Amino acid sequence: MRQSRTIGWAALAIALLGFPLIFSGAYYEQLAALVILSAISASAWNLIGGYAGQVSVGHAVFFGAGAYMPLLFYKLWAVSPLLGFPAGVAVSLTVAVVIGVPTFRLSGHYFSMATIAVAELIRILVGNWDFLGASIGLMGPPTARGWWDLVFRSSVPYYYIFLSVLAVLLAFTRWMERGRFGYYLRAIRTNERAARSLGVPVSRYKLLALMVSAGFTSLAGSLYAAKFGFIDPNSGLAILVSVNMVIMAALGGAGRLLGPLLGAAILVPLQTTMNSIFGGGGTGLTYVFYGGIILLIARFEPGGLIQMTERILTRLRAHAARSKAQAGGVNAA
Amino acid sequence: MLLEANDVTMAFGGFLAVSGASLGVAEGEIVGLIGPNGAGKSTLFNCLAGDLKPTSGRVVFDGVDVTRANPETHAKIGIGRTFQVPATFTDLTVLENVMVGAFARHPNATGAREAAWRVLELTGLAGQAERRAGNLGTPGRKRLEIARARATAPRLVLLDEALAGLNPAEVQQAIELVRAIHRTGVTLVIVEHIMEVILTLAERVVVFNQGRVIAQGPPNDVVNDPAVIDAYLGHSHARRSQQGTIA
Amino acid sequence: MILLQVIVGGLLIGAVYALFSSGLTLIWGMMNVINFAHGEFVMLGMYVAFWAFTLAGAGPASFTALAAVVLFILGVIVYMALIRQVMRGPMLAQILSTFGLLLLLRYAAFWAFSANFVTLPEDLVGPSFNLGGILLSAPKLLAGGVALALTIGMHVLLTRTAIGSQILAVAEDRDAAMLMGIRPDRMQAIAWGLAGASAGIAGALIATFFPISPTAGESLALIAFVVVTLGGFGSVPGAMIAGLVIGLIESLSAYYFGPIYQDVFVYGLFVVVLWVRPHGLLGKA
Repeated sequence: MRQSRTIGWAALAIALLGFPLIFSGAYYEQLAALVILSAISASAWNLIGGYAGQVSVGHAVFFGAGAYMPLLFYKLWAVSPLLGFPAGVAVSLTVAVVIGVPTFRLSGHYFSMATIAVAELIRILVGNWDFLGASIGLMGPPTARGWWDLVFRSSVPYYYIFLSVLAVLLAFTRWMERGRFGYYLRAIRTNERAARSLGVPVSRYKLLALMVSAGFTSLAGSLYAAKFGFIDPNSGLAILVSVNMVIMAALGGAGRLLGPLLGAAILVPLQTTMNSIFGGGGTGLTYVFYGGIILLIARFEPGGLIQMTERILTRLRAHAARSKAQAGGVNAA
Repeated sequence: MLLEANDVTMAFGGFLAVSGASLGVAEGEIVGLIGPNGAGKSTLFNCLAGDLKPTSGRVVFDGVDVTRANPETHAKIGIGRTFQVPATFTDLTVLENVMVGAFARHPNATGAREAAWRVLELTGLAGQAERRAGNLGTPGRKRLEIARARATAPRLVLLDEALAGLNPAEVQQAIELVRAIHRTGVTLVIVEHIMEVILTLAERVVVFNQGRVIAQGPPNDVVNDPAVIDAYLGHSHARRSQQGTIA
Repeated sequence: MILLQVIVGGLLIGAVYALFSSGLTLIWGMMNVINFAHGEFVMLGMYVAFWAFTLAGAGPASFTALAAVVLFILGVIVYMALIRQVMRGPMLAQILSTFGLLLLLRYAAFWAFSANFVTLPEDLVGPSFNLGGILLSAPKLLAGGVALALTIGMHVLLTRTAIGSQILAVAEDRDAAMLMGIRPDRMQAIAWGLAGASAGIAGALIATFFPISPTAGESLALIAFVVVTLGGFGSVPGAMIAGLVIGLIESLSAYYFGPIYQDVFVYGLFVVVLWVRPHGLLGKA
């Protein structure tokens, strides 16, 4: 069992590391980079939404903070956007505290409502603030003055940078899963009252999970700004940014380590394809489709594809065991 | 006194669910809390457990005032509790459920797992350790409920109708489990409906009716107390019993 | 004088907010479910009004009644097909379900009606008139008046009628209600219908003076969240008062700081309420 697990991980690592070498060409490279970038923010969302069960539908606020800060630093001081990365994290952590502290001692709905409200509030403010580019947004360095500007012509360097960050995030998630933090989060998700009675400091752990989640989401936003060299309220703070994170995690499997990566691997290519078929008008249709998927997941399989696969496999195994027992019985008779 | 309730009152609007209740539990005791439905024992129980903040009065544990403390603090200082309807973490395994409790005293997973295994063995659940807790039946879940609370290394456990809904054979097993827990040095306060359980387990019984403590003492004394009989069975029965017209 | 006009205008729109928020808080108090698609119900009410007028020349009374019926039915359908099952499940499923519904309805409207906004004729209800120096818009006055009456009506329905007390019984204690012969399932479906209808009527009323677009639901849903939080969990009277308060604050913010920032004030107030008094004005702690 242990051995097949390690082989599985090794295979995944090799596949991910080697992808751009096998599928080369600008289209695949860009697509791959996008998948990994989306996986980062979806995996970050997963920490609070999947593991802790506190559903944020306004995570765009952390993504946007992370995206705006590097470009703002560049605009103000012509420095490398990299210097803005920590600022984005700082802003995100502050917002996380403002949202989390009052709502985590209340029932889950307050948190979800607050995330949507704060995300919208920030989007309106940013969209009307000339300092941050108002509705036009901010741009990054047009050409690379050095590697630290993170301006590369090919998507391949981005791909590997994103992959490293994803690896760190997933390693952290894995470590958390196996320790007290993970057990407590799952207890909180399943039955808060019981968790309390066992000494779990519920509000504190929810806040911790939110802060880690916000920090990594902010990093994803910063990486996005680095790659695309541009951010505006729509691409950074709109509700659809939040939706993307949620659906990728939920489709693959919320609360599972690789759920978000799976969801991203399915939905990013799908979305790209649908965009090219339907064009801009397809946006409406894509999100009708997304809404339907989220509905179906919520109604029939909250654990996403991973849980569905596990369920099917368990049933197949039970079926096989029964058939084997029956066959054995016939032979014995 | 390990646990003391001093003149605890719990009012919901104008309704006094608990009125001036006082009781004390000495270390090592098994105290039963009984009374008819709606008598207020569950409310008092929740006040003791930190789920409800009493309107007035004090709850003191080992000299520490815990009247306004939240349930997490209660668990940390050594008061455990179970829920009437088992609040099982259904998607976790039996072992993982107990580990959540063990983590209260063992910050890292290895220590928590070892402590959890010991509790599983104590409570007879070791054979089901890897089973998904949601697949357990009611007796298993109730047993797990107790095991989980035990894993927090409490000095006192509040058992909320831990034996309700079990058939007679299961009740016997549960009684044995409760005794085993008690033998490991845990003081117990048991809320129970089933008279047989109280008579068998409790050294001392506190009887509630209409929010007040109406009797206290050894089980056999309490059961024959006219006030208690009155509360449970009604005035006429108490009178008839006194007049000896009941066989 | 202008200030008085702003205040009156704020109270009138606040009454409409109270109307659709009372449906939301009823469901929340009853089933501990927040309908994240509630704003979309209002939006659909707006479109029902628009299409009834455009296609059949229906007047305000007719299209409002029609919106009530259509959204009542939608509310019941959503309950039966979706909410009833996810209610018993994990929080993630509950919240995702109405959130998915939000996306489905909003983007279906986008796709069907395009992103452009449409409007009903300005003088459909009547012209603006001057009352003691205050300029009152007839549609707003009608909307505010009707909304206030209906919200009070909802409260009366819940507290004074047989069916209302059955609904409240289920909200209070589901099992006890069952023992009394009340069918919780049916009451919950009716509650969803009422919530839908109140949203639909509100939408039809708003449509008489406000542009109709697929994204109209976005800010209205958030306003509903603020109102139900400020009003208190499950409290219809609370939603009534809070609705008026929010309408007033919104109107005053628009007056002093410009319409762009009115939403910012309302959402900012939401955060303040969460920090300071999360259980709202009339909520149970």
